[in-house]
Amino acid sequence: MQVGLFVTCLVDLMRPRIGFATLKLLERAGCTVVVPPQQTCCGQPGFNSGDRESGRAMALRFLADFEAFEYVVAPSGSCTGMIRCHYAELFPEDSALQARLNALSARTYELTQFLVDVLHLERVDSTFAGSCTYHDSCSGLRELGIKKQPRALIAGIPSAELHEMDKPEICCGFGGTFSIKLGDIATRMADNKCQDILSTGADAIVGGDLGCLLNIEGRLRRLGDQHTRVLHVAEVLAGPEPEGD
Amino acid sequence: MLLTSSSFKRNVRRKLEDPSLQRNMKRFGGRFVEARAAVMTEVDNLEEIRVAAAAIRDRSLANLDSYLVEFEAQAQARGTQVHWAETAQDVNRILIEIARTNGVRKIVKSKSMVSEESGLNDAVAAAGMQAIETDLGEYILQLAEEPPSHIIAPAIHKSVEEVAELFSEKHHTPRQTDIPALCREAREQLRPHFLSADMGISGGNFLIAETGSVVIVTNEGNGRMVTTLPRIHVAITGIEKVLPTLNDFSTVVRLLTRSATGQSITNYVSMLTGPRQEGDHDGPEQSHIILVDSGRSRLLGTELQQALRCIRCGACMNHCPVYQNIGGHAYGWVYPGPIGAVLTPSYVGLENALDLPQASTLCGACQVVCPVKIPLPELMRVLREKSFSQGLRPWHERWSIVLWRTAASHPRLYAGLTRLAVRLLRRLGGKDRLLHRLPGLDGWTEGRDMPAPSGQTFRELYRKRKS
Amino acid sequence: MSARDNILARVRKGLGLPGNIPGAERDKARAYMAEQPRGPRPTYGWGDNVARFCERSEKLGSTVDRVASLAEVPQAVARYLQSKGLPVSAVAWPTLQDMPWRTAGLEVQARAAQGSDLVGITGAFCAVAETGTLMLLSGEDTPATVSLLPETHIALVDVTRIVPGMEEAWALMKAERGTPPRAVNFVSGPSRTADIEQTIVIGAHGPYRVHVVCYG
Repeated sequence: MQVGLFVTCLVDLMRPRIGFATLKLLERAGCTVVVPPQQTCCGQPGFNSGDRESGRAMALRFLADFEAFEYVVAPSGSCTGMIRCHYAELFPEDSALQARLNALSARTYELTQFLVDVLHLERVDSTFAGSCTYHDSCSGLRELGIKKQPRALIAGIPSAELHEMDKPEICCGFGGTFSIKLGDIATRMADNKCQDILSTGADAIVGGDLGCLLNIEGRLRRLGDQHTRVLHVAEVLAGPEPEGD
Repeated sequence: MLLTSSSFKRNVRRKLEDPSLQRNMKRFGGRFVEARAAVMTEVDNLEEIRVAAAAIRDRSLANLDSYLVEFEAQAQARGTQVHWAETAQDVNRILIEIARTNGVRKIVKSKSMVSEESGLNDAVAAAGMQAIETDLGEYILQLAEEPPSHIIAPAIHKSVEEVAELFSEKHHTPRQTDIPALCREAREQLRPHFLSADMGISGGNFLIAETGSVVIVTNEGNGRMVTTLPRIHVAITGIEKVLPTLNDFSTVVRLLTRSATGQSITNYVSMLTGPRQEGDHDGPEQSHIILVDSGRSRLLGTELQQALRCIRCGACMNHCPVYQNIGGHAYGWVYPGPIGAVLTPSYVGLENALDLPQASTLCGACQVVCPVKIPLPELMRVLREKSFSQGLRPWHERWSIVLWRTAASHPRLYAGLTRLAVRLLRRLGGKDRLLHRLPGLDGWTEGRDMPAPSGQTFRELYRKRKS
Repeated sequence: MSARDNILARVRKGLGLPGNIPGAERDKARAYMAEQPRGPRPTYGWGDNVARFCERSEKLGSTVDRVASLAEVPQAVARYLQSKGLPVSAVAWPTLQDMPWRTAGLEVQARAAQGSDLVGITGAFCAVAETGTLMLLSGEDTPATVSLLPETHIALVDVTRIVPGMEEAWALMKAERGTPPRAVNFVSGPSRTADIEQTIVIGAHGPYRVHVVCYG
């Protein structure tokens, strides 16, 4: 099975190890993974800030990079949601293009969704050890219906324990550019999320979107918490690699 | 109502730093959310009913002129006087005219958000008449001289201690903090007003075209009082509130009360048609209705038309994590929360409420619970697009977006810039790999550290591994 | 042009309809109203309407009594009032004035209610099983104030007039009355408020107690 990996801009720039973890998971599951080198961003930051042109330009970029693949996988519910739910609507004037985008969107999956719903994977081989709590990122949850998939995979790791936090589905306050434009509210929302996380006593907070994780980590560290690990679900499932890459 | 939406950011800061508001909002937190979730288990085909309710509202809007004219004809046939108000000021003018013509001195009001749009109470007072709010929440706020902060629970931002203080001061009674006792105190204060008022003003949850009726959905009984006891009843409501039939109403109300307060049905659903009839021993001698446009018709035919489906249940604000933290007053006008972020700029002008459509993470919680399936995140995005294309956003924001778009459209440029950026930021992050302060990103770093990038991009590393 | 005409013209312009006043579309709107389609409802069933009505009424905070016939109602009402230590004088709908209240030890006046009345007795046009709701129509002999002003509202419900849902209630009203009266009040339990700290308090401006006596 041939898979194009859309690594997403945040993972590319901020946490490459999440990209490698994703790669490892897909390859272990038997996929042939290709990383198109020209890929950049899904366009959501601009699109959600009111610049439709950002969305259109990035949709065309994505189409050029990924149309050839049988499947496309991204370690992000948010970027996958952008692609699946918004790309085609950006071109109301061009139905042929819409059809191509729709066809590509339909083969584009968030990582855990792909592992569980497409590959029907029940277990991953991970060395992750410790307790964790899972934050449901909004786009993944509400646009794509991702809820059970990451939990099912984490449950299959023998040395991992999942403690649910109070209100795992409430937004952490990231919201892309919202987190900068309305930083006061974003900080308060992140604070609420951190309290819920800390109340579980878990060693790690795990999620499927790096944006949310950076927001949560940023608030945890500012609050003085240095020990709670902030991990992408791909890192947990692939088994964490040493820091540094 | 005084518009302060343009100072949204300042309002937010004040609200976030207000300990008593924060306490009250924390308490508010999940109660409506839990009540709604519990009662929705009764509706095993919720999605089917939501689709039907949205279609009913869409049908009303797509034929709004026809249903309004039908409503008017039926209402007039039953003796209701129908008035049309193009603007909020017209609402006040018409109401005061009716009151003056009939020698009205005292008015009792049940909750009407539309009358908040026009600041009716102030206009009535200026005309030398007394308007008394009778919904408990609205009554509390009238005593406190504050606007409502929620469309169905207007005093949600107040604690029992604050109410106790207020009642004791205004009623000259001993301070008591027992909630049932405070409710009884309000009942005893207001009962004489119901019995002596000349005019009752109510809102209207819906207008029924086939019968020319106004429907109000209430719990306290004050809505029944103000529409039954005074000699004149005036209902004030928006033109979009019309529904073709009683069957349509039956479908919509199943979701309205469940979405709002988590009740299968409210204590009272009252449908009023015309004044007192021949032989009746109670009911008003005159029945009036003021149909208000005030910006609504402008939304028709645009993507924002979907917002007019709104049945004012408040579920979007109850479930909104932004609203939950800042309360309703920060939004600066009548309608807070996600629906307010769409309606306020639409009614008062985008330039006067620029930050409201931005006041959402687009988390989608509102859209999931909306009983008439208004795509609120999408509508907020539509307003953001207007702001962006009309050049209403700050220059640095526009500039960053265009820069990012340009870079991301040119992979080689993007590769070069990102290579530099991640190295620079990695260095700035220092030993603990955290950026404590980053010029231009103060909005983030004021309350959170920014985890630093790890120093090389994934694509660089991937290429190296491959070779 | 009048405000009315301006608004209608703006609405039509927004909707992309020609001209300033509704034309042929009005016939379409009328056709829809004449057709009276009913929307979907929750699909669970509940078998017996009477049992459902009683169960839901109690859930709303009402109390429910069941007697075999209308003749037994005055005794049942008296029993209720005495058991609660409530006054045995009441105001009632004029439709109920010929019932043997006095033999049951009750002082009943048939008229509209005043602020000082403590107990109000009404019938019901019909009742809705789905939600445990009473449907009261205002009229010469059924004044709306009786179910509103007194602290205690006692409603007499003929079990043969308990219908499944609100849709059937409207249909019954149209069949028997044609057009609606001045006020149709659906009453679902005692009045309440949660406006202070979302704490539910029974008895806001309307009755503190609703007692339903089902007969037949």
